[in-house]
Amino acid sequence: MDREEIWEVEAGEERRPGIIHIVITALLIGIGAVVGAFGSFTLPLGFGVNFFWPAIAVQNIGGIWYGAWGIIAAALFPIISNGIAGTPVYVSLAYIPANAFQSFAPAWAFRRFKADPRLKSGRDWLIFLVSITIGNIFGAFWGPLVVLKGFGLLTAESVPLFIWGWFAGNEIAGIVFGVILLKALSGVVINTTSFVKKWWA
Amino acid sequence: MNKTILGYVPEESPIYSLHPFVRVYFLMVVSLWPMIISSPEWNFALIVVMLILLEYSRVTLSTLKLYVPVSISMGVLILLSYTILGGRHPEFYEVFNLLGVPIYFERIVAAVEVYMRILPMIFVMVFFLSTSRERDILVAMRWARVPFTVTYLVAMSLRAVGMVIEDFSIVRQAEKARGYDPKGKSIPYKLRQFVMYIIPLMGLAIRRSEEFSNALVARGYSFTGLRRVKRPDYVLTKYHFKVLDGVIVAILSVALIALVYARYGLGLFTLEGSLTMKWLQQWLVGGAG
Amino acid sequence: MSAVIKFEHYSWKYTRTKVPALQDINLEIEEGALVGIIGPNDSGKTTLAYSMNGLIPNQYYGVRSGSVYVMGKEVKEYRQAELCQRVGLVFSDPEAQFTAMTVEDEVVFGMENLGLSIEEIERRLEWVVPLTDIGPLMDKPPYEVSGGQKQRVALASVLAMQPPILVLDEPTSMLDPIGRKKVFEVLRRLKEEYKSTIVVIEHSLEHLVPLADHMVLVHNGKVLLADETEPFFERMDFLMEHDVFPPGVMEFFFQLRLLGHYPNSLPLPRTLEEGTERLREMLVGGENG
Repeated sequence: MDREEIWEVEAGEERRPGIIHIVITALLIGIGAVVGAFGSFTLPLGFGVNFFWPAIAVQNIGGIWYGAWGIIAAALFPIISNGIAGTPVYVSLAYIPANAFQSFAPAWAFRRFKADPRLKSGRDWLIFLVSITIGNIFGAFWGPLVVLKGFGLLTAESVPLFIWGWFAGNEIAGIVFGVILLKALSGVVINTTSFVKKWWA
Repeated sequence: MNKTILGYVPEESPIYSLHPFVRVYFLMVVSLWPMIISSPEWNFALIVVMLILLEYSRVTLSTLKLYVPVSISMGVLILLSYTILGGRHPEFYEVFNLLGVPIYFERIVAAVEVYMRILPMIFVMVFFLSTSRERDILVAMRWARVPFTVTYLVAMSLRAVGMVIEDFSIVRQAEKARGYDPKGKSIPYKLRQFVMYIIPLMGLAIRRSEEFSNALVARGYSFTGLRRVKRPDYVLTKYHFKVLDGVIVAILSVALIALVYARYGLGLFTLEGSLTMKWLQQWLVGGAG
Repeated sequence: MSAVIKFEHYSWKYTRTKVPALQDINLEIEEGALVGIIGPNDSGKTTLAYSMNGLIPNQYYGVRSGSVYVMGKEVKEYRQAELCQRVGLVFSDPEAQFTAMTVEDEVVFGMENLGLSIEEIERRLEWVVPLTDIGPLMDKPPYEVSGGQKQRVALASVLAMQPPILVLDEPTSMLDPIGRKKVFEVLRRLKEEYKSTIVVIEHSLEHLVPLADHMVLVHNGKVLLADETEPFFERMDFLMEHDVFPPGVMEFFFQLRLLGHYPNSLPLPRTLEEGTERLREMLVGGENG
């Protein structure tokens, strides 16, 4: 199957959102929550921010494989993982746009440019790296600037440092774990009924 | 013992005489209180109240140990952000100079204020997670008439969390059986090993998604049940919203409104009028500020 | 007796596999019968089960030909929710089908999907809980009870929907001998007291054979042999050639028959008790002779 075929809905092929997508969303939330809480307990910065957050990979690959369902999961699982790690509920809720966008950016890029989730070519790698970077830049601005500053947890002067810390922590973890997961499992996922070619099915 | 999200609470705990919705409402409303209150001593009082509630609910207080590192790192970060990383402000009162970095009184006070706001919010969250079972969250949502698809997604997600934790421990045991011992290994090594967890966890989830959805379809599940039939809610028949529940919800609501009025209408609970502020002033400034 | 399930020249091939999982299946399952389906792994047994309750073709991509009728109506013409009221399916891995936080919620889930009234749900609980002996488990998380209990919970959650046809896909594959015995005890009661139509896919024949009215051998996607239980096991050589290992007592008497010590006119005993009795009769007859 080439990269075009992966995303192409064949003539007569019926794709509908089904129960399996609800299930996959729930399972992604489960994995994200556990992996996220693990990161939050081992290397915590506080307020749900971590030096190194492997759960970003679940957000990235969730959006690529499962479209809107992955994005929903990406937006929701940090509420659980942050909660378990002691982040106040309203701080977690305020992170939702950043978490959703971190999943949306690669999801959109892979569909728009028909990149192969198995990362077969340099082009696929480039799309992956650029898209997660854009997602992380948005997240890095939203988190410290909007949420932490908004809640008065940071001073204006220290925000740039936190933006950089957020970005670096997510970017490195996203590349390391995202690449490994995409290389290891994309070949299986694209052949399952739960794989989402458009946004919902 | 009832298994809650964070541990175990005895079945006879008085907290279970309340409707689960009251606990969710408590989380949502009481988490707002510290955002309104600036005065650190009042927020400290809220922490004490939360500790009393945890004890009264017969929660094992050792659970709180888990949150010590997070609380410390948060405190340090807030302090760093407000002092060393807080920039230069000639308009502020300089308490001392740390290797050329001025540490201002106003910044220390602000850091204390923020930290004392965040701590009770954490305690409220811990109280909620320590006393609530997954079922309680669902009952609360269903009782509040949240659409079934949403409550079901939440139910499955919570179930998935438990399942992933089980899978996680199986993968770890399998690693141990093959001689892997993370004790004494470096953080980069441990992080590399993390790859060994995340791939099987993800792979298991993909395989389970098919089994899970087959099981749901085989029992007539669709986004809205059988669509044309009204879906009964048997679980709700097990819980009764009593007068006491209504009274508590009313008290929490009134207290929130009263707090907003007291803070913004009457100017109470402010930092300026707080005892902590006065004490810090005496201690750090010596009455000069 | 009329056929409640009928396969007519039925074939199914999963997308992206080269060989069909099922080929030209012709099979009838009669009302009130307990039918055992046996065969080696990957022979198509589970595909056959999924084809009976509509998971195939509704949940899988593939190529289908021929027909499957359930109670006189082609499976494709049913809505999935309607079909699951006719054919209940119990999966081999009970844990994979648990989606609720307590056993009670798990058992109730299917009934809520059907839109039953609370009174009807309670009435059915009163029936199914003692039948499957899960009373003491009702408040526990379903994934924390023992293997045998899990499978009985899974069985109860399907039985509570009261489908006239029950299909069980390797229900005892993950159970210890006691767990197996208990599951088959429930099936025996269902067959004898409620005259249910039951299809059991099973590797372990010790408990299945004594109960089964009919047996079906599936091999490489084809039905190689389908008959009433006694004549089915008269083809012992053929069965053993196709990797079927009958209960020890049957094999023992078959060997006796080959050695000329057990007459062809008598059926092979299905249970140890039956075999002991036959042997006693033979020995007493020999002494007398």
